[in-house]
Amino acid sequence: MEANGEETNPGFDPNKNYDEDTLAQQREIEKEIAAAQSMVSQLYTFDEIVEEYSQEDAIYRQKVEDLKTRFKNLRKTRGDGNCFYRAFGFAYLEILLSNAKEYKRFFDVAQKSKDELIGLGFPQFTLEDFHDTFMDVVKMVEKPGTVDALLNAFNDGGLSDYFVVYLRLLVSGHLQQNADLYIYFIDGERTVKEFCSQEVEPMGKESDHIHIVSLTKALQVPICVEYMDREGDKCNSFTFNPFEGSADTTDPTPVFTLLYRPGHYDILYPL
Amino acid sequence: MAQSPSGSAVKALQLELKKIQAEPVEGFRVKLVNDSNIFEWEVAIFGPPSTLYEGGYFKAHMKFPADYPYSPPSVRFITKMWHPNVYENGEVCISILHPPVDDPQSGELPSERWNPTQTVRTILLSVISLLNEPNTFSPANVDASVMFRKWKESKGKEKEYENIIRKQVQATKEEAEKDNVKVPTTLQEYCVLSTPAHDNQVDADFYDDDYVDDLDDEEEMYHEEDEEDSGNEES
Repeated sequence: MEANGEETNPGFDPNKNYDEDTLAQQREIEKEIAAAQSMVSQLYTFDEIVEEYSQEDAIYRQKVEDLKTRFKNLRKTRGDGNCFYRAFGFAYLEILLSNAKEYKRFFDVAQKSKDELIGLGFPQFTLEDFHDTFMDVVKMVEKPGTVDALLNAFNDGGLSDYFVVYLRLLVSGHLQQNADLYIYFIDGERTVKEFCSQEVEPMGKESDHIHIVSLTKALQVPICVEYMDREGDKCNSFTFNPFEGSADTTDPTPVFTLLYRPGHYDILYPL
Repeated sequence: MAQSPSGSAVKALQLELKKIQAEPVEGFRVKLVNDSNIFEWEVAIFGPPSTLYEGGYFKAHMKFPADYPYSPPSVRFITKMWHPNVYENGEVCISILHPPVDDPQSGELPSERWNPTQTVRTILLSVISLLNEPNTFSPANVDASVMFRKWKESKGKEKEYENIIRKQVQATKEEAEKDNVKVPTTLQEYCVLSTPAHDNQVDADFYDDDYVDDLDDEEEMYHEEDEEDSGNEES
């Protein structure tokens, strides 16, 4: 069959599906990353990671010094495009281990979210499966939950990735429910639903400001992000306050802090 | 330590297979190609009534990646298909099956994408609706796409596309007989037959299904229609 002559690239075979090659290559890279990095790491001190985080760069070195004045430890997450969700999930559940009241509130929100997502049209059968696993991980916080047990769960692909999927669905759900607001923050000629199906729901799609705003609002959890970028000599910290602009008077003090280096999120532990 | 990635895949696929076999849905049947391999399914799609595909029985293989459900399966027709979105080798090109690495600007219509909540059922329903509503913006078979557009734009006067499809549908009858399947040809049968068996028992041998026997009238209509078509073809 002729290709109608619109392709002039001699190596291009119009009847071949190139997705498979791209995918195979991507899987190789993913495998390497998976072998080298745990999904959520043990605690590190800044002295242990300073070389990796700032080796080629005096500005970054200075910023690590700044972090050391406020933070004691750091936990690394795997650089697989899901790091924000994994960092958020682990840091939050770890905090809930010692905050029964907040756990109770979150549990109810998480429980109720299932029907809301089904109402938005996600297939019930699979959504329930993801929700059940998500709740299994959440319930690990209850009586006597331990950091080690959480760490094991977040490094178990079957639990950890399902947890990430569900957080992605929560972000998608929140964006879709508030589409008339978020449509102004989406680039390209895309609807909010299209944005969600392209940039939120697929595994491995990285998170931007809009994803963070959306997750903190969906779960009503204020968080802080320290930006380790190239401006100034200190990290720029930014608080995502989900209560801003609403009548809600809940304490907006960040529940935990994440570290952002361009393209990646890790978890910070204060002094 | 970490579970192997295919651990999730096996779990998800077993759940889906059990669910579909317990509650067969409209328009298709599934089984494993080989009982020891959950990653390859054989699916049989019934052509939707009141379309060119009515009465057709199309077989395809679905192959699932080790990281399912995070990545989509591929769908490849075993039955010969002439369709704008099916490659010569039978592979189906549809947005819901595209891996998330795809560039959103690839000229594709904004449409359903893969995400981990998609299932075999949502995929096959998309494929079924694609049969009758090809996407001519990113054709996998350019010739079929051109032919389809001619047929569509001439409001059915240019019959080349229609004739090829009807011929292919006709050709699937043999396979259906071999599998002992009566393909539903009215909307009512198409939907009614797909509801769970009365006693809610799982009928694992779904090709040997309890289709009603009074399809004779439909069969006759089918033949008449078909004779007309072959007439057109030769003219």
